[in-house]
Amino acid sequence: MNMFKTILPWIVLVLALVYSGQKLIMPERVESQYNLNEFRQLPVSAHGRTKPIDTVARNSLMNISGRQSIRTDDGQVTAIEWYINLVTDPEGSEDLQVFRIDHPDVLSLLGLDREKRTRFSFGEMRPKFDEINRQAMKAGQLTAKQRDPFQRAVLVLNQRLMLYSSLTQLNNPYLVAPMTTSDTWRSLIDALGEDPADADARLVLGMYQAYQAEDVAGFNTQLATLTEAVAQALPYDSKKAGYEVAFNQSKPFISAAVIFVFAFLFGCFGLLTNQMKDKTWATTLLRTMTALLVVAFLIQTIGIASRVYLQGRPPITNLYSSAVFIGWFSVLIGLIIDRKNNSGLGGMMASVIGFGSLIIAHNLGSSGDTMEMMQAVLDSNFWLATHVVVVTIGYSATFFAGFLGIAYVTLGVFTPRLDRERGKSLIKMTYGVICFATVTSFVGTVLGGIWADQSWGRFWGWDAKENGAALIVLWNLLILHARWGGMIRDRGLVVLAIFGNIITAWSWFGTNMLGVGLHSYGFTNSAVFWIAIFVVSQLVFMGLGLLPIIIWRSKFERLSPAEGS
Amino acid sequence: MMIKKVLKPVASLKLTVIIFALSIFLIFAGTLAQVHAGIWTVVDQYFRSLVVTIDLQIFMPKDVATIPGAIWFPGGLTLGTAMLINLIAAHTVRFKFTKKRFGIILTHLGVILLLVGEFVTGFAAKEGNLTIREGETVNFVENIRATELAIIDQSAPEDDLIVVVPDRFLEHDKTITHGLIPFEIEVVEWMTNSQIFGPNQAPQDRRGIADTGSASQLVAMPLPEASGVDGSGVDAPSAYITISSNGQRIGTYLLSVYLEQPQAVVLEDRTYWIDLRFARTYKPYSMKLIDFKHDLFTGTQMARNYSSQVQLVDEDRNVDREVLIYMNHPLRHAGETFYQASFLQDDAGTVLQVVKNPGWLIPYVSCVLVTLGMLIHFGMRMAPKPKRKVS
Repeated sequence: MNMFKTILPWIVLVLALVYSGQKLIMPERVESQYNLNEFRQLPVSAHGRTKPIDTVARNSLMNISGRQSIRTDDGQVTAIEWYINLVTDPEGSEDLQVFRIDHPDVLSLLGLDREKRTRFSFGEMRPKFDEINRQAMKAGQLTAKQRDPFQRAVLVLNQRLMLYSSLTQLNNPYLVAPMTTSDTWRSLIDALGEDPADADARLVLGMYQAYQAEDVAGFNTQLATLTEAVAQALPYDSKKAGYEVAFNQSKPFISAAVIFVFAFLFGCFGLLTNQMKDKTWATTLLRTMTALLVVAFLIQTIGIASRVYLQGRPPITNLYSSAVFIGWFSVLIGLIIDRKNNSGLGGMMASVIGFGSLIIAHNLGSSGDTMEMMQAVLDSNFWLATHVVVVTIGYSATFFAGFLGIAYVTLGVFTPRLDRERGKSLIKMTYGVICFATVTSFVGTVLGGIWADQSWGRFWGWDAKENGAALIVLWNLLILHARWGGMIRDRGLVVLAIFGNIITAWSWFGTNMLGVGLHSYGFTNSAVFWIAIFVVSQLVFMGLGLLPIIIWRSKFERLSPAEGS
Repeated sequence: MMIKKVLKPVASLKLTVIIFALSIFLIFAGTLAQVHAGIWTVVDQYFRSLVVTIDLQIFMPKDVATIPGAIWFPGGLTLGTAMLINLIAAHTVRFKFTKKRFGIILTHLGVILLLVGEFVTGFAAKEGNLTIREGETVNFVENIRATELAIIDQSAPEDDLIVVVPDRFLEHDKTITHGLIPFEIEVVEWMTNSQIFGPNQAPQDRRGIADTGSASQLVAMPLPEASGVDGSGVDAPSAYITISSNGQRIGTYLLSVYLEQPQAVVLEDRTYWIDLRFARTYKPYSMKLIDFKHDLFTGTQMARNYSSQVQLVDEDRNVDREVLIYMNHPLRHAGETFYQASFLQDDAGTVLQVVKNPGWLIPYVSCVLVTLGMLIHFGMRMAPKPKRKVS
């Protein structure tokens, strides 16, 4: 038995590594006579970035249908198969049910019924194209703020139809690499329009035509020739494209999210068994949790590092990557805290934040390429690497303090397990994390001011995002000064720390919801809904924290009225 | 001792916490207020004021519920000053220069500087725009938050005579007269923010009332003040004015910052030019735009970079050189900083933002002090304590 307890963490560690590493080492292959495994690594250019055609296929399908593969009567179809079939045979693909439409009024406009499905085909919508176009024009004349949910939904559908047509018309992505006849990327249509005999364009066209003619051997040889030519002209991009396909395949953040769930469960069991006489079980389970967190952290690190390499940018470039980063850094904080004291609560909260942030990231990333190019004003690797990273660390730390507060309240109110020792150590952790959050959020905010001064001459402009950052700093300062002045004790500290979650959520998302910028971040009404739910839940935790101690199931505090801060 | 007694309540940590709480509320309200009001209006009302009246409506979208009423609240100037006094008082009362407090003192010194820096910026900083078309030379800066009515008399051979009327007179006064101009100006309609329509583009219920001048075919329509969360946030005023001389009506004109050419007022033998334009400040230097570049990412409409190649001439300082100004790479000259801010339609010219802020360096120093201070303070606590010998 003891032997088992010793090796359990190791076994789980190895299992988790195998689970998440297998896809990276042995990428899924597309089963086809056509060499689609090589085809998908072909570099193309879309939205200003050179990427493998696999990424374009995945992001387009994700944008249109909310999935990276589709189910048909013949089984699962991967994004790359969907793409090549679509562009080589648009008519034959017309009946695939790929367009996700949720809004009931849009469906009734299309004369479609939402019986048992939420996805519809291009063919089904064909009779209503003019009407969709007309509605989209009307909605397009309004500002984003003025549009109602129906108008927003129509615009989304219209944008999806346009994306779909740009693929079938070979306008997007740019397929013809700068090889022998040109020094810029061009779309196949443009290149052939300029010169029907353009050698580079012919190479691409020939390959697509072979696929169209179901000429397996022809497709494979032409593909090989093209791959060779592109690799010669763009060796670095080709190498990166290959790596990106492996990255797409391995889905590191999904693996990490799954591991977080298990880590949390092991943590719960560890906490439950803590009351048993035999403490070794608790130790084993918590060690297992830590092992899982280490693996998840490793995978997230690889994932983030891969994005940095592929994008040639510091880790945070948009909301999606900030969510990933917040999760990653929270795990780091949790692991450090658990090393300092073995309560396991740091790890448990890390798995909660880690999982939550990846869910948020997943939803933010569903509308397209998460490695999009940056607006010119943000184009500064130095400030992205300093201001953005530091301020995001501040967000993570403030969240972490808030979640430790939640752990304190939950354990105290609902279980008898918050004894004096554990309570004290939780408070110490929370306090320490708040101090750290104060430093990082302050430094991050001021660095942002300096960037603003450098790029448009105004250190502080009182705009929504700056104000949001200032609120976090002020809130952390308020907690610290209240504590130093003896105005709050332990419970006051945790209740205020939980409110920090609301403030951080506001700064992170709320400020984006104020303005017209909603759609640019892929915001929908459902995001507003979820944020409202989050805020209410935090208020509930705060309310629980304020319940008289007599109702708490953990009675430790009553035993020592003199103690507190 | 006496001073300390007086200062003690002012120096309390309770007051600090209260100020923080009030500031948090003020900033939150000042962010929400930007949904409907312009960012500069909000900055003046909320953050650079002693007292602010906060409409309760800002906390609730209008289409959900209407909330009447407003509350009085201390403005940013009051809270900033209070914070400053509280901080200085605290250090006066409890001043002890020990190793343990060194980090705190350093941090607070930095915070004081940061507050002072914002005061300096609030009172002394000036911002303007320098708009240049390609090939053109410009020697004035425009303040896009203020407009002026310029009346130009070019009849003298040497110099032009220009009379300038600031926008606050246009907004509030109905008739404007001046000893140097032989006619009266009556403001028929003033629009703080507006849009201009072509002859047949205006909505049917809106008719232009101009009957004279080159813009009489156009129609101006008022718009709500540009809000802080909208894209540009710049108000574009227009006005309908009627000009009469000696009781005789000459005509009603449309003036707008959108119009590039001034309107001609013909008075017997003389022609006067009138123009509504962003308020100008003439400078001892001039800039000529040699080339404006607007680079896009391949196959997109997304900007990769904006850059302006300009010839900077300043005879007072013996400067005559070419400069490239682009994103995140401003030019600093004569106490002013020039940033690539925007551009004209069809990339025909550039808009540089010109900022003069004598306090621009303060936040940098403050940032270093606070960071250092906090690292020392918290670092000392985190560091392992030296083991004591058991006696």
